[in-house]
Amino acid sequence: MDYLQIANSAPMWIASGLAIGLVLFQAYIFAKKSYNTGKAIGLSDTQMKSALKGSMITSIGPSLVILTGLLSLLVTVGGPMAWMRLSFIGSVMFELMAVGFGAEAVGVNLGTDSMTQLAFANAVWTMILGSIGWIIFATLTADKMDRVQDRFLKGDKALLKIIPVAAMLGSFGSLVSGHLVALNKNTIAAITGGLIMAIVVPLAEKDKLKWLREWGLAIALFGGMIVAAIL
Amino acid sequence: MTQKRDVFEGDYLPFIVRYGKVTGWLGVLMSFGPALVLAVVYRIMPPTTAILTAFIAMASAVGVNWFVEPISYFPIVGVAGTYMAFTSGNISNLRIPAAAVAQRIARVEPGTPEGNIVATLGMAVSVLVNTLILTIGVLAGSTILARLPANVIDAFNYLLPSLFGAIFVQFALMKLKLAPIALGIALALTLMVNLGWFDFLPGRPTYLITLGAVFGTIALAVAMHKRETGRP
Repeated sequence: MDYLQIANSAPMWIASGLAIGLVLFQAYIFAKKSYNTGKAIGLSDTQMKSALKGSMITSIGPSLVILTGLLSLLVTVGGPMAWMRLSFIGSVMFELMAVGFGAEAVGVNLGTDSMTQLAFANAVWTMILGSIGWIIFATLTADKMDRVQDRFLKGDKALLKIIPVAAMLGSFGSLVSGHLVALNKNTIAAITGGLIMAIVVPLAEKDKLKWLREWGLAIALFGGMIVAAIL
Repeated sequence: MTQKRDVFEGDYLPFIVRYGKVTGWLGVLMSFGPALVLAVVYRIMPPTTAILTAFIAMASAVGVNWFVEPISYFPIVGVAGTYMAFTSGNISNLRIPAAAVAQRIARVEPGTPEGNIVATLGMAVSVLVNTLILTIGVLAGSTILARLPANVIDAFNYLLPSLFGAIFVQFALMKLKLAPIALGIALALTLMVNLGWFDFLPGRPTYLITLGAVFGTIALAVAMHKRETGRP
């Protein structure tokens, strides 16, 4: 039997569907609890609904990028695995690398050799074992990191507002720096995206332009993409 | 104010931790589902040595990130966000941008109870949108890919760098003095890694860039804050 028939079989769809169901369930109960708690501590309905709408608009662009990754993964590991891995724990670059390592370990070189049942199974194992480190470590430590952070802050409340922004600047600084030093179209995209954001954010402070708060990031990221593609 | 803390710490967090742990461990179990199907239904089980070989290759390439990422993203997304982000994946390219936009729109600060709650709402929406788009995509399958012109597919490659640039600037506008420092550290480390200064380390040590930039920026931000306020 061709491995893709197995990869696209009903039992595989069911196993993948269960995992995706879990992610949706978690998102639902966390969102419901957060909404109710938000109300209890004084966030208004309009504030939260507007935030939800903004995240929805923002999520579309990155999801399309993930979709193109899904389509490229689909060809090698079939629908169910591609669907599951990109909605659950994984990310595009990681999965492609895992499939490569998994197949290689049973002597199948992707791109030159054709995938076998065994290579497919080993790729599946590699994707799983290579990614559970994240979820295990996060699940073990999420509730304890609060205490570690509190001890570090020693009651200095102002620091609590500075550290998240510093962490964010550090992590997105490192994500963007690879594209900045590449000096190719990615560099143009990164700079244009940043520049549009620098114009849009102050503009969105004006009451007449409130809609920009929700659409700002989407405009910046598609703007950066279009400029890089055309130039 | 104290009542707000009571609700957040006495009710919200215990609920999140309880369900976060249950869903997290269930997530670990369920991720083995497809491997189990292959072994039980189709009797395909790779030899342990092959699994180990591939696992060791993966662990040396990304293993450090298992620890670095949850720690670096925690101050931004909080307890609930950590459970969610690492169950659903696609963190830097989707969850964090969705959370950050939600916080900016609701005008709440990251790190506060309000900030955490709004970030969680933002991430939950991104889970929904992402699952919906991927489900439609996987069902319509490769027919979509075949119909899109090649230059459109190429253009999608520029979305990610553009997103990273835009998110960086969004936060840079909040701390104008800190942004050049963060970018300076990140650029310097990127160049060093590219020049092969750290090649004695296993894999391609890009995690050093994240580690150095996140903790270097935090350390300098704390030092600057202490100098400004005169606290020891």
